Amino acid sequence: MKSNSIMNDYRPRLVQCFSLVFPDLKASEVYSASSSSVAAWDSTAAIILANVVEEEFQVKLDYDVLPELVSFELMLEYLAGSSKRPAEE
Amino acid sequence: MQFTEAIRIIREFSSANLPLLQVQLVTGFNSLHLQTFLQANLQLRTSTKRATVMTNIYGDLTGSLKRIPTPLLDGCAIALEWPDLDPRLGFRRLGGWGPKELADVIRDVQTRLLEIEDSLTNLPANLPVVLSLPTLDLPPVFHTPAHQLSEAEVQLRQVVNELSFWASGRPNIKLVHPMGDPQHRFDFKGELIAGLPYTLLHADQLARSFAQLLLPSVPKKGLITDLDDTLWAGIAGEVGPSAVSWDLDNQTQLHGLYQQLLRALADQGILLAVASKNDPQIVAAVFQRPDIALPRDRIFPVEVHWGTKADSVTRILETWNLHADSVVFVDDSLSELAEVKAAHPDLDCIRFDGQDYEEVHRLLYRLRDLFAKSTMTEEDGLRRESLRSSAAFRQAEVSPRVSHESFLQSSEAKITFDFAAARNPRSLELVNKTNQFNLNGTRYGEVEWRDSFKSADSFAVNASYCDKYGPLGVVAVFAGQVRDEAVTVSTWVMSCRAFGRRIEYQCLKAILDRFSVPEIVFQFSPTPRNAYLQKFAESFLGEIPTGPFRISRALFLDQCPKLYHEVQLHHE
Repeated sequence: MKSNSIMNDYRPRLVQCFSLVFPDLKASEVYSASSSSVAAWDSTAAIILANVVEEEFQVKLDYDVLPELVSFELMLEYLAGSSKRPAEE
Repeated sequence: MQFTEAIRIIREFSSANLPLLQVQLVTGFNSLHLQTFLQANLQLRTSTKRATVMTNIYGDLTGSLKRIPTPLLDGCAIALEWPDLDPRLGFRRLGGWGPKELADVIRDVQTRLLEIEDSLTNLPANLPVVLSLPTLDLPPVFHTPAHQLSEAEVQLRQVVNELSFWASGRPNIKLVHPMGDPQHRFDFKGELIAGLPYTLLHADQLARSFAQLLLPSVPKKGLITDLDDTLWAGIAGEVGPSAVSWDLDNQTQLHGLYQQLLRALADQGILLAVASKNDPQIVAAVFQRPDIALPRDRIFPVEVHWGTKADSVTRILETWNLHADSVVFVDDSLSELAEVKAAHPDLDCIRFDGQDYEEVHRLLYRLRDLFAKSTMTEEDGLRRESLRSSAAFRQAEVSPRVSHESFLQSSEAKITFDFAAARNPRSLELVNKTNQFNLNGTRYGEVEWRDSFKSADSFAVNASYCDKYGPLGVVAVFAGQVRDEAVTVSTWVMSCRAFGRRIEYQCLKAILDRFSVPEIVFQFSPTPRNAYLQKFAESFLGEIPTGPFRISRALFLDQCPKLYHEVQLHHE
């Protein structure tokens, strides 16, 4: 339940991040966006996206994990997971 | 600025149909963050252009410096770091950090710095260049502990200092003074994994410095200060002129430092005035004390009486002929600050709190920044004296006892028109800071100004003025083109210090005489601030024009009042 609520809270904020970094992406395309479907998603855009997400969610996205966060869904799951971690520890 | 905000600013302007402001950023590292912050910071400083920042090939700072596309550029920002001088002074290469390599590193750094100096020398003399010297710590290449400065490090820093000393003397190069905590500048992991050595914080701070130096703010021109508990500690009317203080013994050194800063500002041409509710005789007695750090002769005018401060400020602004947004008002009283702010909303009102050491410390730097200029001109030193004489002129204009005509006639005025004016840095400075007598309010970058005189039919003229009250220096600039027996004036400004002397008429006469044309076309646009020029045009046309207008030779001769100046012309 808590996880769903976090995802619901995070999803629109993450959409805003994606829209800022990929302004040509239509709203309906954001949820399915991935590095293979978005031509502008290159290594530079990945860093910019990471920086924007870091500021929006007040988290540190380590350079190590960036290569794994190659879609909207994966990034959302990672963020939701990050927010749960301190409580679980 | 947050990175997200920087991207938003860039996106907001990305499709704006505006002329480009093109800046080349030269680095040896991945400049993604620095580029983003620089573009956003430049954009914040200009609303009439779309800022773009071009970058170079990764890892080749010196080569990139040689290939800068100068004709396209409005400016160039260079961020130099230690690995650009020798890759062994970074963390991305494994060329050796031992004592054997160090001597070779120092030699390579010297060679590389000479190359950089050579490239900088070859850049056009009027391309604005901003240079940041290494801001990050050196890696542990020395045998000494981190808290000990080694001979080799001193040598390295000395050769870099030699470049900075050389660069500081170049008129088109400005050096960045690094801001922020050095401990928060370096992103070790970012450097190793992505070639991004700067933290976002440092990239933002450096970008802001670059932008401020490439597009400097117009400095404030005048400061109005209160006296009691501001310029000095204590109420002079209560404790007496000898008991107010500004020294260490009385623990009132804050006020002495404030006086010292104001004196320095005055000596750099900043106008100082006093607005104080006080007894004029008591104030005069304080200013006669030999230990005063701000002599009375640096201040003009002095409004000391029991009337309101807002009225005092109004009169001071009139005497200076300045708009409130060019002036700072400093007072210890929050209520006085509020009263003055209400009457002059554009005035920068700042509190002097003599009890708060940290606040006054910040205030000293803030005032320095508000009035800061990258270069000083002769005219800066003339400003105060010329205002005194301007006040005399204005008094003569309104005084029924003195004939204005006879006053002008006896002023022994001389005007020199210099037709090689585009070379004079004062020309552009005057064009970019003049509001009231400004033909259309157009501002120029250095490159734009230079480029506007490339064609053979263009001209730019400076007018310098002096009279028996002293020189005013360069007071007017006009520029334009001569085509098909017609002169079009696209730029015309005159300093407010020169109003009331009929210099504007001599400018028109100089154009008509120099180019022997039947009329002059003025590329006029009304602005919220160019009322003085609007009135001048109205005096010829009978109404305020709404756009470009013409003045014929016949109209000029009919309307021109009698001119008493001795005129000299300097041609190219």
